[in-house]
Amino acid sequence: MAYILDGLKHGLAILMPPNREILQIVILSLAVSGGATFLAALAAIPAALVLALKEFRGKRFLVGAINTALSVPAVLIGLLVYGLVNRRGPLGLLALLFTPGAMVMAQALLAFPLITALALAALTGIARDARDLALSLGANRLQLALAVIRQGRFAFLTALIAGFSRVIGETGMTLMVGGNIKGQTRVLTTAISLETMKGNFEIGIALGIVLLLAALVINIALQWAQGK
Amino acid sequence: MMDICAEKLKQVAGDRAILDEISLEFAAGAVNVILGPNGAGKSTLLRLLCLLDRPAQGEIFYDGLALRAMRRGERTALRRRIGFVFQAPLLLAGSVEDNLLYGPRLRGMDVSGLAIRNVLQTTGLEGREAQEARQLSGGEKQRLQLARVMLLDPELYLLDEPTANLDPLSVKNIEIAITRLAHSGKTVILATHNLIQARLLAGRVIFLKAGKLVQAGSASDVLSCPLSLDIAEFSAAENIVAGTLVRRNGRTMLDCGKLAIEVVSEQEQGAAAAVIRPEDILVSQGPVSSSARNSFPGSIMAAVDLGLVVSLRVDCDGVMFTVFVTRHSCEQMGLRPGAEVLLTFKATSVHLLASG
Repeated sequence: MAYILDGLKHGLAILMPPNREILQIVILSLAVSGGATFLAALAAIPAALVLALKEFRGKRFLVGAINTALSVPAVLIGLLVYGLVNRRGPLGLLALLFTPGAMVMAQALLAFPLITALALAALTGIARDARDLALSLGANRLQLALAVIRQGRFAFLTALIAGFSRVIGETGMTLMVGGNIKGQTRVLTTAISLETMKGNFEIGIALGIVLLLAALVINIALQWAQGK
Repeated sequence: MMDICAEKLKQVAGDRAILDEISLEFAAGAVNVILGPNGAGKSTLLRLLCLLDRPAQGEIFYDGLALRAMRRGERTALRRRIGFVFQAPLLLAGSVEDNLLYGPRLRGMDVSGLAIRNVLQTTGLEGREAQEARQLSGGEKQRLQLARVMLLDPELYLLDEPTANLDPLSVKNIEIAITRLAHSGKTVILATHNLIQARLLAGRVIFLKAGKLVQAGSASDVLSCPLSLDIAEFSAAENIVAGTLVRRNGRTMLDCGKLAIEVVSEQEQGAAAAVIRPEDILVSQGPVSSSARNSFPGSIMAAVDLGLVVSLRVDCDGVMFTVFVTRHSCEQMGLRPGAEVLLTFKATSVHLLASG
């Protein structure tokens, strides 16, 4: 028990003030996961809007596919991205393997179905009403899109929070395609995993605290925005 | 005033036809009532007319212009001539005034404070501008929807059961507002399953059942001389008799067991049903000499006082008839349960219904 408390004490000491390396890891983590969430949302939110508002052939299949994609293990997405970006893969020329680019790609793929499914579930109740009301009062295409997005903004934020939380905490897949290279692709989760396995328990704890704080701060900020 | 007609309009949900090739015309500058039981396709039809959904097949003409030939911009322009009141109120989170101003904002319209006060007064919501719209009562929400649409002053009003679940006073206020709209030249199309409202408001009644057009015409035609058993049953016509048509001595009779009612019909045999309006039946204590072809003895089973008139239930050999007599005659003739009377009506008062 004592060594856990010791670890906690040391961990806190390392963070006051945090050294350059830790800062770098935190910044890269936020940038990669934030970027991945943003990219995923760019595709997922329009997809959710279309699925909520339009009737078309194959819609049920698509919704089913997205829900199924939710249960695809992250490590398989890592495998897929590895296959795409390694030297012999179709995207090999871009030399993305073991770069933040590959990590963003994998995390965005992981977040996309989650953000789509959550936004769709929340929109299903409200998008149609918002659409009917705006259309019946004479909205044009742009006004209609804005009206639905306005009504759905809480749904989108909730989906974004969930997506971000999912990817910033992801380890195995990020390690596979990022490589945990010191100063280049080392992020919070891969660093915690490495340091703990090396026996540097207190560094692991310090980074864990940072990860928890980062997740908390982002969640609180988004929820505060939601209350506005 | 907007002229609308639909041609072979069809709408589907999955494999099921909600509207099945309906062709009809609406009376411009008048109240058109779409009447029918739940699931008849009334709301679906209104949504198509408001361009909220696209028909699976068929065409709608607005002032002669075909919907399918319109481009997106033209459809938006057309929608801006239409006002829609939803069955379940759709309101924005915000104040009554926010809700009223949403339409003008979308349409880029300027509205004066006077116009806002006018519609609030017409709908009985004066002084409620600042109230949170979603905290209004059900009736107030419905009236706010109507006010929101009236503020836009559309040429065509589409109202989906605007008085469902309202108290009688609110219903009356909305009905008065609707009548005024038609008087001022607006075309109103209203869906309801309220028969009394249809009688009260309608210039034209369109009766739908299970996605099919059953009958369309003036309110008095459709409701008093229904062509089908569906409408007769729906409109709770008091005297519906069923039997078999037979030719007897050169006359066509509707044979319903012990009674044979003479009718005027081109159809000469087969199963049939008929409606006889209560006010078309004459009640007497002895035989009366008249041209009426049908006369049956019966005994009064019940008398219900309806105010000016009394509704009598008369049993004629097992067939129950409802007849209306004035309270005055009722008292003078001593019509009370148990009394024996004679019911007389003309063959032309028996409205045969299309079977099915």
